[in-house]
Amino acid sequence: MGKAIVITSGKGGVGKTTTTANLGTALALLGKRVCLVDLDIGLRNLDVILGLDNRIIYNIVDVAQGTAKLHQALIKDKRFDDKLYLLPAAQNTDKSALEPEEVKAIVEELKPDFDYILLDCPAGIEQGFMNAVAGADEAIVVSTPEISSVRDADRVVGLLEQKELTEPPMLVISRIRRHMMNDGDMMDVDEITHHLSIKLIGIVFDDDEVISYSNKGEPIVLNEKNPASQGYRNIARRLEGETVPLMTIRETEKGGFMKKFISWFKK
Amino acid sequence: MQKSVVLKGYKDGYEIELKADAAFSQILIELTELFERLKHEKEKNDEKIAFNIKTGARLLTIDQKHEIEKIVDNYPNFLVHRIVSDVINTKEALQIMDSKNVHVNGDVIRNGQVKDITGDVLFLGNLHQGGVLRATGNIYVMGSVSGIIHAGFDSNVRSIILGDISGAQQLRIGDLVDIVDEEKVTAGTDSLVFVNDLHVLEFTSIDKLKSLRPKIFNQVGGF
Repeated sequence: MGKAIVITSGKGGVGKTTTTANLGTALALLGKRVCLVDLDIGLRNLDVILGLDNRIIYNIVDVAQGTAKLHQALIKDKRFDDKLYLLPAAQNTDKSALEPEEVKAIVEELKPDFDYILLDCPAGIEQGFMNAVAGADEAIVVSTPEISSVRDADRVVGLLEQKELTEPPMLVISRIRRHMMNDGDMMDVDEITHHLSIKLIGIVFDDDEVISYSNKGEPIVLNEKNPASQGYRNIARRLEGETVPLMTIRETEKGGFMKKFISWFKK
Repeated sequence: MQKSVVLKGYKDGYEIELKADAAFSQILIELTELFERLKHEKEKNDEKIAFNIKTGARLLTIDQKHEIEKIVDNYPNFLVHRIVSDVINTKEALQIMDSKNVHVNGDVIRNGQVKDITGDVLFLGNLHQGGVLRATGNIYVMGSVSGIIHAGFDSNVRSIILGDISGAQQLRIGDLVDIVDEEKVTAGTDSLVFVNDLHVLEFTSIDKLKSLRPKIFNQVGGF
């Protein structure tokens, strides 16, 4: 029996869909059976990031309305054997096409077949949010180190606490720019975690490659060396109950010797 | 047989006692009898007489009160001043207790949430930006506050706000609002906020409390 985790944030553009795609992939790489459910109806992206957009035949609204069976709508990601599936959102309707009960029923139907069901929540706290939360057992709140994002995350945590989830919400801080955080120009990880007073489950650095990989339809997690990829892999391992130390924010100095030499020369 | 309705005269008027252990139907009968008798005695002068009715350990329902009033209405010389009872509802009692107590609260009040409290509150929790802590009485702040604090909701302007409120966004007492800025409060110090005689929010130091609201000291620690 799997567990359903909603990935939400309140604010848009903080990396919910990227987190869903990469966390799902990372869990699949750990050998778990994962189903990603895109609930951003009308503005679906998850399929694009995974490079599965041209394989959509049926979507979640078809399943809810009974025009398609659940297994017909599920798209298998061939890169990961039998581990990663996607239930895509509909594109030709809006959030009101689904009811919370319908989402719940679909998630319940998925649970016996998967270890993890990740629900990609749309931005905002309206119908789409309600739908996504209705199906979830646990929640991951994604926030960037910006005041507006943290403020919205705070609001969302408040709403999630009112819902009866089995676990308190967990926090992912994404798009961290190390040099800005080190210079004190960005909110500190500890500061955000302390303010939201929920459990931090991982941090993800901002990296150009995240965008270029998304554009290629490949999750960044597939590139092992990338720092953002490591962040997602660590989150997956922590979800699995492993104790993984937090990545250090201090930047490693590249080309140490030459840099020192030049800086010495500049004096 | 012992009467279930007893008329008593005092220095400042008459009082009718309804025995709490008697049946209500019996009380109605005896009440009518009593008024019949009094009517004959009183007929000479047309001065109106008001009664207090005491119900002892019985709590009358609204219907029962109406029935009593209906009987009294038949006798234009008499009228009911007040119906008093020795007892009150548990619910009512709890409400009174609620509004007189100082509640200790340690919640996290997040953006968009409103925490309503009846009575006074000693706040030890965390009030985030965009959150509202609202009490019908005084608010004593010990936790960290960066949201909106509303004391004396919705019209009690005698209420006060006390503590380090330098981080708060707004302070409200009753119908008054003030935006907190550095000129009025210094961070890390305790302030006292109250509504002055001109109906304006005023910031002062905590040691003025004794002279401004001496009654608070009788209230803290129960009643």
